[in-house]
Amino acid sequence: MTRRLLWALALLSTSLSAFAAPDAQAILRQADRARGGGLPGIVWEIQLTSREGQKQREEMRLEVRAVDDASVAETLEPARFKGSKLLQVGRNMWLTRPGLAKPIPISPRQRLSGEAANGDIAATDYAGDYEAQLEGEEAVDGEACHVLQLNARHKRTTYDRIRYWVSAARGVGVKAEFYSLSGKLLKTARFKYDNRIVFDGARIPFVSEMLIRDALVDAETTMAFGAVKVRKIAPDEFELGQMQ
Amino acid sequence: MTLRRGLLLAAALGAAAAGAAEEGWSTRWDGVLYAYSEGYARQGGSVLNPGNRIARIPRRQDTAEGRFNFKLEGEDLRLSARPILGIRQSEGDGSGPSHQGYLSQWQGQLRLGQHWRLTGGRDLLTWGPAQFRSPANPFYFDNGRSNPLRELSGMDSAGLSWTPDRQNALHVAHIVGSGHAAPDPDPWHDAWLARFEHRGEAWAGGLAVARPAGRGAFLGAHGQVTASDALLAYGEIGSSTRSRALQSPADPAQPFALGEESPRRTNALVGAQYTFDNGQSLSGEYLHHGHGFTAGEARSYFARAADPAAPQAAAMALGYAPPLLGRRYLHLVWQNSTWDEDGYWRLMVSRNLDDGSSELAGYAEAVLSRRVTAFALGTLTAGGARAEFSSLLAHSLSIGVKVALP
Repeated sequence: MTRRLLWALALLSTSLSAFAAPDAQAILRQADRARGGGLPGIVWEIQLTSREGQKQREEMRLEVRAVDDASVAETLEPARFKGSKLLQVGRNMWLTRPGLAKPIPISPRQRLSGEAANGDIAATDYAGDYEAQLEGEEAVDGEACHVLQLNARHKRTTYDRIRYWVSAARGVGVKAEFYSLSGKLLKTARFKYDNRIVFDGARIPFVSEMLIRDALVDAETTMAFGAVKVRKIAPDEFELGQMQ
Repeated sequence: MTLRRGLLLAAALGAAAAGAAEEGWSTRWDGVLYAYSEGYARQGGSVLNPGNRIARIPRRQDTAEGRFNFKLEGEDLRLSARPILGIRQSEGDGSGPSHQGYLSQWQGQLRLGQHWRLTGGRDLLTWGPAQFRSPANPFYFDNGRSNPLRELSGMDSAGLSWTPDRQNALHVAHIVGSGHAAPDPDPWHDAWLARFEHRGEAWAGGLAVARPAGRGAFLGAHGQVTASDALLAYGEIGSSTRSRALQSPADPAQPFALGEESPRRTNALVGAQYTFDNGQSLSGEYLHHGHGFTAGEARSYFARAADPAAPQAAAMALGYAPPLLGRRYLHLVWQNSTWDEDGYWRLMVSRNLDDGSSELAGYAEAVLSRRVTAFALGTLTAGGARAEFSSLLAHSLSIGVKVALP
């Protein structure tokens, strides 16, 4: 009798573990990879298109080199900004232009274009920056998604809290809501993954578009990601002396 | 370098870049054409520049200039050059038109593995967060402020860099000379530089030691903290001696004295910058300038320069003065976001807290097209002929256009 009871308990335990909640942090790590996180380094071009109300803002094209919490974004267009560079290491940021005496330190509040924060152009490391909790399951455009609640681990994050919808089948983030410390919804974002990269011998989907909408005013920015290359980036490429 | 040689050099770099592109190297070039006119209103009754005989400041100066960047980049080797070619016509200083062509900067860089780098060329050796003046830098204390429309030229140097990770970097360089338009004698001929930089999570800092030949070492340090999403705080400090330093005793009966080397002094700057939600930012900086004169020494400085019995005194006063005359300065900057597509503007106020003189400067850019930008720079001084900021100029205005290439 005791033996049967033990067998029953073991079976029940196995069945429960099969239906246990997925590991939120593991889901987040996988979703990060499709946005540059956890890779040895990423080089990509970003086309930024912004609209504020009826006003279409000037297009901007950047080449970005990024790894972990560091990135260098060099402006390719418009021509009058060509050669301008934005360097970010941790929470430190500098801006320089050809002919400028030296790189100028700037605060994270300085925005590149429209709704895109400087943090949006770098590789995404939500798994390193946020503590993830699985909030539930929900469909986005008919696609089953895990809904993750992300709370900032430290102050250098661009946003204090994020709700993140990660496709259960594809393992990529498809929708996000960004909140301030006071709980106010600041922006929403939608993602597309039409790029492919080779990582660890496998071809994996990679972000091709991020559409950011302001939650308070009628404004939106589209970031189109292209020419994506995964490569190791030497530490001196993030040095201030290399900016000029 | 003549204009012809400058053009030949630019053409050679362009040809090299085109050839290398076929061999799989990455090449880039861009440039900006400038055309601008500067007008200067000299200070009436200037003590330091009587009758404009010493400084020879033109009433008007017209400049057409091309500033180019060429880059050739391979796996481990990077070559870059920034030639500047131009023509200048001045009125009111007795000079004719002048042509110029020179390499403002150039660099050859050889990567030795992931962490080591050999460099040689004419490098802009600038660092530190300060805008008004840079006490942590032995070569560019002025920070390019004396003429914002002209750009700084590099120092001729060869060096070795070690970057073990993204947080730390160490550089050692031998300084051959001060580069284009080096003074004679060159205070930085045959000097050494060692520099360490560190970036923390929300702060960055660095140390610099420079050893000029036959003079005391320069010691400098700088740091910045990103205190919040909007607030930056920063500072720079440097300790140095000056060569060919003018001493101005507070007793006006005593003459000027020109020492081969000044006593060691400390310059220090503290500053903060706040960025508003709309992208505009406000910066404030306070500078203690240890090489400057006290209020009494500065008064005697102007009194001696005005002495009709010593006609050379004004030239000596102007030629050998410290980079700033006073000891205490305040500098405020209000500007919009540099990324603003409608244009850029910046308002600056500098005040010598010892003699009360001030300079108000405004710079603005208006976007005419994706390539063409119009710009204007105006300055207005206050304080009179015997005060620093107003000792030479009453006001100035520069207007021009720049065209981005290609």
